[in-house]
Amino acid sequence: MNELLLMCTIAGRRAAIPAIEVQSVIEVENITPIPGTPDFILGLTALRSQALTVIDCSLALGLEETAEHSERRAAVVEIEGHLYALLVEEAHDVGEARSEPVAVPGGFGEGWQRAARGMVETDGGPTLLVDIGQLISGPLREAA
Amino acid sequence: MDELLADFVAETREMLEQSGSELVAWEADPSDKKRIDTIFRFVHTVKGNCGFFDFPRLEQLSHAAEDALAECRAGRREPDNALVTAVLAIIDRISEMTDAIEAGEEFPEGGDEALIAALSPDAEVEVQSDIEIAEEPSAPAPANDEGETAAAKAPRQTVQRSIRLPVDLLDEVMKGVSDMVLARNDLARRLREAGEQPTIDGPFERLSAILADVRNSITRMRMQRLEHLFSSLPRLVRDLSNELGKQVMVDFEGSEVELDREMIEMVRDPLTHIIRNAIDHGIETPATRLKAGKREIGLLKFAARQSGNQISLVITDDGNGINVDKVAEKAIANGLYSRSEIDKMSDKQKENLIFEPGLSTADQVSSISGRGVGMDVVRSNIERVGGSIEVSSKLGEGTSFHLQLPLTLSIIAALTVGSGDQRYAIPRSYVEEIVFGNSSHVEFAQAGDRRLVTFRGQRVPCLALGEVLGGEANETCRWEDKTLILVRLASDDVFALAVDRVFDHEDVVVKPIAPAIMETRLYAGTTLLDDGRPMMLIDLPSIAQMRGMVGGVRTKTVGIEKEERAEKSKAVPVMLFAGLDGRHRAVRLELVRRIDTISRDAIDIEGDRAQAVIDGEIMTLAGHDTGPLPEERCRLLRLSDGEHELVYAVKEVLDAADITDDVVPSEADTAIEGVTLIGGKPIPLLDGHAVFARYRATRKIDHTLTCRIPEGSEWARTILEPLVQAAGYRIAGEDDEVEADLAIALAEDAAPITGGARETIRLRPEPEDAGDDTIYRYDRDALLAALKRIRTGRAA
Repeated sequence: MNELLLMCTIAGRRAAIPAIEVQSVIEVENITPIPGTPDFILGLTALRSQALTVIDCSLALGLEETAEHSERRAAVVEIEGHLYALLVEEAHDVGEARSEPVAVPGGFGEGWQRAARGMVETDGGPTLLVDIGQLISGPLREAA
Repeated sequence: MDELLADFVAETREMLEQSGSELVAWEADPSDKKRIDTIFRFVHTVKGNCGFFDFPRLEQLSHAAEDALAECRAGRREPDNALVTAVLAIIDRISEMTDAIEAGEEFPEGGDEALIAALSPDAEVEVQSDIEIAEEPSAPAPANDEGETAAAKAPRQTVQRSIRLPVDLLDEVMKGVSDMVLARNDLARRLREAGEQPTIDGPFERLSAILADVRNSITRMRMQRLEHLFSSLPRLVRDLSNELGKQVMVDFEGSEVELDREMIEMVRDPLTHIIRNAIDHGIETPATRLKAGKREIGLLKFAARQSGNQISLVITDDGNGINVDKVAEKAIANGLYSRSEIDKMSDKQKENLIFEPGLSTADQVSSISGRGVGMDVVRSNIERVGGSIEVSSKLGEGTSFHLQLPLTLSIIAALTVGSGDQRYAIPRSYVEEIVFGNSSHVEFAQAGDRRLVTFRGQRVPCLALGEVLGGEANETCRWEDKTLILVRLASDDVFALAVDRVFDHEDVVVKPIAPAIMETRLYAGTTLLDDGRPMMLIDLPSIAQMRGMVGGVRTKTVGIEKEERAEKSKAVPVMLFAGLDGRHRAVRLELVRRIDTISRDAIDIEGDRAQAVIDGEIMTLAGHDTGPLPEERCRLLRLSDGEHELVYAVKEVLDAADITDDVVPSEADTAIEGVTLIGGKPIPLLDGHAVFARYRATRKIDHTLTCRIPEGSEWARTILEPLVQAAGYRIAGEDDEVEADLAIALAEDAAPITGGARETIRLRPEPEDAGDDTIYRYDRDALLAALKRIRTGRAA
């Protein structure tokens, strides 16, 4: 399977999003915060007169360490009719998966485990394939 | 489903709706050939269409009906009530079968033969409530009226060419146009920033105009005449009234009014419910009606009218009306309210109890109504589409339901407000009034941790938007700096929402938001600002629900107080005038001291300085910048804020009027307080504060200066005092401790003046000049000049 993947960096790790699900990669300029929402929802941004919900991928995985978003790049995805901008630390090129996503013994670690569809081999080495549906639903709310 | 089949179902449906009213009209006047033709066409078309598909039962039914109707058309048979009932029964069966086809279900076998047999001339009349009608072939006159209007409409429908389109596609196109409008706005903003560019501005204007047209026609694409909705109602009314042994006729007004297709479907159920209620509870039986001195046929009237972005639909019956006491008793019996709460309610509020959940006024549950689905569901359905419903009733005379519906579902009128650094939109329909926290007639109070605001005699709970959204703590909130929005929910609950500022009101295109944001229950959607930034639409009913602002005795008692006061306090007297540019404006009447006419020569304008001379006084002039001054005589409004005066140049003074509508604030023009409706026209209301702030009025109103006059002198009291007062001074009293601006003393009076004064005028008793700076007490001119010199000196 040679699935195309958008290579990016989330919380300092190599990660990949299936390219077929990504409409575009944008530079997020202004974010309108939405008070009252969970932390990982940074707010709304506008793209060609459409409002996108901006998700901080790192926070969405439940990883505390938010690195500086130097580039403010985000992958635009559509889930159930709603548009989201998945903010990542870095967005690299689109690459090819050299293998099927596989699980690794011992899991990928807390946070990653839930959102990862598995590990794929790429030209740049092993990479985590991320499930965008899990990203937008955010970290599990233990309290709830 | 096969596309052809879908078309068949849709076509059958459409024809069904149209022929429903035709049938009823035909029944009233069976000799009407046009009606028979329509119904004949329907069954014929169904029969014909069935040939393409394999629907033998449908074909059989329609064929039988067609035959019977053909007999009538040929004049071989007189259509009677039995036939009409039989044909209706067949049409109903066709409709049910069509539903089954659409759903892909199997229609239960059997029953067709009985229906077909009922068509034959000598068939026994089925045991149905229709018998009543059969006995008294209802009053022809009113039914004819109805028939005629329907006849007048019928041909129009056939002339218009039309095709069917999937709603999804329409939605897509509408969305596209909305986005284009936003993109245009963004472009407009960038063009503004870049300054004037003649080569671009022209085409851009053209683009804007085209876009406005397209937007308009797209909106119309989704619109449908209310006629569409109305046409199915006569049938419903007929069936219901037959079942209940009542006679009801329907009257439609405004069926040409157009409404969003989706909206029409949304209001269909609520409307049906209201009709059921009206016929079941409202309209009496013929016998009761005759006894009450009414016509035995009840009237159900539908009137629709478009006003701006709203459609108002009034449904009136001339039945028995709502017995408010009975409703109130019921509410107590059901434990909804205590007797003391009910006692405090006005009749209007008691009437509104019918919208309370769990309250049915039906004495017994009939098959028509009283089945637990109440008016509360009707109300919530209407509110869900952004509308409102009100009831008014007069015992013994009838009941009216007033529905207000938005034209479309996705565009709403909103108020944009600021909280923190962000802007939010609030649906305009909830906003009752906007007041500033620092206004003199607003008082804050605290009860426990709850902030209350007292405004015009009503005490309402306060919520700070910043606190609701989590950015601000209630304890540190500076309420006095906030702007309060009085929110009235559809449930009649009132609370105040404190925001940092109010920007403007505009129509916004609302779009759905992601589920994770929806979960907060704070927002109802999102919309884009002109500059392309997103803005959240606040979900007021949900916030009110979460914060316990809904229901409860507290707000209800407040409501009573409110209703009485609202009438009085809302009318604000204003003066209407035409500015120098000819545009109509209004100014609060309190501000206007008097109207003067002066010659053009008395006005002096130089650069930013504009002044007018009135009665030898120089006064600041405003309003001159709205247009050219008249050539000879100039009308001036003398405005006063209580301390300062200035004159405002106008072209013409028009009229006095009362503002009863809201003043809608405008951010764009700081010179006006807002825009209000006077006699149906939008009139900008001059912002007195801004005018006085801008044209720094120089002249103080005189009475702010005080003057002491000799005490114990009769001359001073009787002669001097009026003169001094006329010159604009206030006479300082004996116990006035404060230093007066001026004191007048008599020269022969050596006694020092009690209390201090900054200036003193001494009067001498003799006309001869005594060489000092005294003034002869009867030298009026000199005295007035001195008074004026001191006054203007001080004021400057």
